[in-house]
Amino acid sequence: MRAVLCSLCAVLAPAAPCLLRAWQLGAGVIRTLCMGLALLSVCKFTEKHECVTTENGVGTVGISNFAQEALGDVVYCSLLEVGTKLNKQDEFGALESVKAASELYSPLSGEVSEINEALAENPGLVSKFCYEDGWLIKMTLSNPSALDEIRS
Amino acid sequence: MLIPFSMKNCFQLLYNRQVPAAGFKKTVKNGFIIHSISNDVYQNLAVEDWIHDHMNLEDKPILFFWRNSPSVVIGRHQNPWQECNLNLMREEGIKLARRRSGGGAVYHDMGNINLTFFTTKKKYDRMENLKLIVRALNAIHPQLDVQATKRFDLLLDGQFKISGTASKIGRTTAYHHCTLLCSTDGTFLSSLLKSPYQGIRSNATASIPSLVKNLLEKDPTLTCEVLMNAVATEYAAYHQTDNHIHLINPTDETLFPGINSKAEELQTWEWIYGKTPKFSINTSFNVLYEQSHLNIKVFIDIKNGKIEICNIEAPDHWLPLEILDKLNSSLVGSKFCPTETTMLTNILLRTCPQDHKLHSKWNILCEKIKGIM
Repeated sequence: MRAVLCSLCAVLAPAAPCLLRAWQLGAGVIRTLCMGLALLSVCKFTEKHECVTTENGVGTVGISNFAQEALGDVVYCSLLEVGTKLNKQDEFGALESVKAASELYSPLSGEVSEINEALAENPGLVSKFCYEDGWLIKMTLSNPSALDEIRS
Repeated sequence: MLIPFSMKNCFQLLYNRQVPAAGFKKTVKNGFIIHSISNDVYQNLAVEDWIHDHMNLEDKPILFFWRNSPSVVIGRHQNPWQECNLNLMREEGIKLARRRSGGGAVYHDMGNINLTFFTTKKKYDRMENLKLIVRALNAIHPQLDVQATKRFDLLLDGQFKISGTASKIGRTTAYHHCTLLCSTDGTFLSSLLKSPYQGIRSNATASIPSLVKNLLEKDPTLTCEVLMNAVATEYAAYHQTDNHIHLINPTDETLFPGINSKAEELQTWEWIYGKTPKFSINTSFNVLYEQSHLNIKVFIDIKNGKIEICNIEAPDHWLPLEILDKLNSSLVGSKFCPTETTMLTNILLRTCPQDHKLHSKWNILCEKIKGIM
C-alpha cells in the first residue's frame, strides 16, 4: 500500500509534500490521504513557490514544500489585511526565518477574504501541509479560470 | 593590490563610462563595488531598495559599502519599544530606522561598516559572503581569530560579535547585508539597545543580545578604510573584476530614478512605527502625590502603531472616574506616540474643570503615560 501511494504521489505532483507523513497519524489517515491526493490534482505551483488551490472561486494560498525547506524554521509571518485587493505577483506578505525576510507573491488576482490568524502565534505552522494548517491567505478570485495559466 | 579609493579616480571612472540618464543600471558590469557618499540611514537603505527593485543582477553581483551617522536599525518584524530605548534616542537625536530585511536590532555610527551583497536569488549565499569577509580580514591580519557561526554572526576570539547579518529575498533578487564593528561607541550601543519598557507582550521577532567588540581594539591598524579596501580586494578577486570602489550619491535621481521617494517612505511614521506587529502593554507605575504613593495600572493594546484598547486605572479618590474615562476613550485610535498624546491631552485638559490641583494631577499622569511610549 505504501509503495502504491508513493508512486501515486510521484505521478500526480512530484514536487508535492510527501503524504506519507500522514500515514503515521493513525486514525483518519485514509481520509487525510484521499483528501490530500484530491487536492494535489488541482494544486498548482507557481514558479515563485507559492502554491494555490481553488474551490468555488476561492483560492487558498500556501507555500510549496520546496520553498518551505529552503526557508527552514519560520519565526514570523506578516500578511496583508482582509479586503486587500491583489494583482497577480503583488506582494501579500513576508515570512521570516533565521534573519531572512522572504517576500510572498500572489499567484492570482483577487481580494483577500481570510488570513490564517493561527500563524501570528505559531508561524511554524507554514511547514504543515499547505492546505490544512499551513495555509497563508484565502482570496476571492477575480478570474477563476486564471488558475490554468499557472504551470502545474 | 590595495587601491585606495580616491574621489578623483572614481569620478574619472564614472565620467569615462559616461553614466547615461538611465543611470546606474547601465554602468554595472560583471560585478561592481560601490560606496555611498551619504551617512543618512534612510538614503542608504533606499539604495538597497532601489537596486533590489530595479536591477537584474544576473552575472552582475554588487557589493555596497555604507556607513551611517548614529542610528538604531531594527528588523522588518521587530517592535522598537521592545528593542531600544526610544526616550534616550529622542534626547540624543538618534535616528530610528526599520529595514526591509529580517533579523535583530543594531546600532550604527561612523565606526561601523555596513556591507550589502546583492545577487540573484539563485546565487544568494550568506555563508559564502561571510567567508569572503573572513578571508579579507585574515589577508591583512593573518592571526586574527574570526569565525562565522550557524546564525551568520562573525565572532572574534570565539566570543565577541563583530558582525551581524540580515537578508531579504525577493522575486528574482536577494540581498545579504551585515555590519562590521570597527570603532563603534560600545557604551552608547549598549545603552541604546536596552529597552526600559516593561510589560510588553508581543510576537515580534526579538533580538538576541551579544557581547560585542571593535576590531580596532584588537589591532589599531584596522581602520574603516583599511577594512573596506581589504573586503573590496577579496570581492574583486573572487568575482574576477576590478577592485575600484565607485562612489555613489544616493540622492541622485539621474542615477537612481525614484530613489528619493523610497527614502521618504522609510522615514514615515507608518513604516517605522506603524509596521510594528500587534502588541500589548500590561504595566503599572507609582505616582508620588502629597507624600503618598499611588499605583496606576495601564493596559494598552496597540495595532499598526495605534492604540486599539486603552485602560488606564487610577484610584478614583485621586482623579475622578469620568476624567479617566475621557482620557481612555480619547486615546483609542491615536498613535502610540508622545507627541500625539501631548496634543490630545492638552486639548482634553481644556475641557476639564479649571482646578489647579486637578490640572497638576493630570499633568503628572500624562507625563508618566508618555514615558512608556
